[in-house]
Amino acid sequence: MQQSDLCFLTIAEASRGLRRKEYSPIELTNACLERIGDFDGKLHCFITLTTDLAIKQAKQAEHELRSGQDRGSLHGIPIALKDLYMTNGIRTTCHSAVLANWLPDYDATTVTKLQDAGAILLGKLGMHEFAFGGPSVDAPFPAVRNPWNTAHIPGGSSSGSGASLAAGLCYGSLGSDTGGSIRTPSSHCGVVGIKPTYGRVSRYGVVPLSWSLDHAGPMARSVEDCAILLQIIAGYDPNDPASANVAVPNFRLGLNDGIKGLRIGVPRANWFDENLGVHPQTEGVFNQALETLEELGATLVEIDGNPFSLARKANQTILVCEAYAYHEKRFQEAPEKFGGSVRRRMLEGAFLSAADYIAAQRVRSVLNAQICQSFSLVDILATPSAPRPPDPFEGMDPNEQNLRPSFTNPFNLTGLPAISVPCGFTDGNLPAGLQFVAPPFEEATAFRVAYAYEQATEWHKQRPTL
Amino acid sequence: MEREITLDNLRTTAQRAGLELSDDELQRLLPGVIRAKKQAGELRALVSLDTEPAGMFNASRVTRK
Repeated sequence: MQQSDLCFLTIAEASRGLRRKEYSPIELTNACLERIGDFDGKLHCFITLTTDLAIKQAKQAEHELRSGQDRGSLHGIPIALKDLYMTNGIRTTCHSAVLANWLPDYDATTVTKLQDAGAILLGKLGMHEFAFGGPSVDAPFPAVRNPWNTAHIPGGSSSGSGASLAAGLCYGSLGSDTGGSIRTPSSHCGVVGIKPTYGRVSRYGVVPLSWSLDHAGPMARSVEDCAILLQIIAGYDPNDPASANVAVPNFRLGLNDGIKGLRIGVPRANWFDENLGVHPQTEGVFNQALETLEELGATLVEIDGNPFSLARKANQTILVCEAYAYHEKRFQEAPEKFGGSVRRRMLEGAFLSAADYIAAQRVRSVLNAQICQSFSLVDILATPSAPRPPDPFEGMDPNEQNLRPSFTNPFNLTGLPAISVPCGFTDGNLPAGLQFVAPPFEEATAFRVAYAYEQATEWHKQRPTL
Repeated sequence: MEREITLDNLRTTAQRAGLELSDDELQRLLPGVIRAKKQAGELRALVSLDTEPAGMFNASRVTRK
């Protein structure tokens, strides 16, 4: 099998091949490392490569699998982590000069779970600095590029996760999402990412941006792969005060159940036309996706988008207040260590009052009730994942994100599970994503709908030319 | 009523917060702060007096660790 064929297998396919002895964990790992060597010079996905560790883990996985010690679907599969997941003794930079040489002394709970499942760590991935602001063009590490067109942004903040998956440099990744940071790069890079319900996955050992909005979650090249990864990292963690003690179902069990009779809510009115509105090409691709869903037997229900539109103000207010509170001492002592984009946005939090923050948290109560009320009318919601195609780096307007609706941040405010799945391309062969949002702790429903759509289309099988 | 945000009162607020920021930097921050304050002001219109914030303290959670 050629390097590119091997590197673009899904986790589910690679896992089956390992057990059929078609290849070994060492071959998978070497294929990824070779491909990283070939292409990462122009994509800048990796901040830190853990080559020696990866080879050691691959040898161990090979030995274990040969001797019948099977740890499950992720055993022997090379993965990579957004560089805000704390890794014991391995540099964790958050793509910032502030932490450029930081070596954590413990692993994030999710990292421990991946290790216990036998995953192989290839390295740590580039991101937006501290998961905020725009592409980090003035950080000590270069900004990640979009494999579909390196002149364009890959979306953030989990940029390296999206780009490395699209380029076939790893099989799975963990991102984090405070306002869309898993779903936006998934959309812009043509891969799948799920922000689970708040509390479903431990945040312990994930460097915070905004405690009450941060979510950890998986990204991969297929819906099934995201289900595999979420199965491993989900579950109650006493070390995370927001962790939910809720049973974790088998996320792959209902993947093939179809969507006949499912009611899909489309909150178009009073939201999609906010400010400049959705980009026409993005909306065109989205409307085609809705037709496919109808052909699969779902019923579309147009619902009022006003509460979703209002969510942005509360989300942004909470985010900058909590982010500034976390970094306050660093801003007082050495503000120059932060890049321009993150500094400009985080410092807004220094000028908001306690009453501003509490007003946003009160609005959160109201909007949470209104948005969850939607599920008395429909089973799931559908929106574009991002309001526009990926911008070119050159001439990028930092205020652009405020000029169009945000389809992602209402679901950080409400904590609802939301998945992005590839749904087509806009001009210039740039990917677009379709987002499904389910009721709390119903990730299985989101996976079922996303899987039905994915299997009915060919978008997820497209690969960028590098 | 919210008072107008100017470079001068931004400088004063920054100093009170222990931040040493140049006038150039404060000037760059000003539009974002004005937008953020306006946005936060608009939030007040969306809640009634009896609405409590999300994430209220819950004593039962203190013993969870």
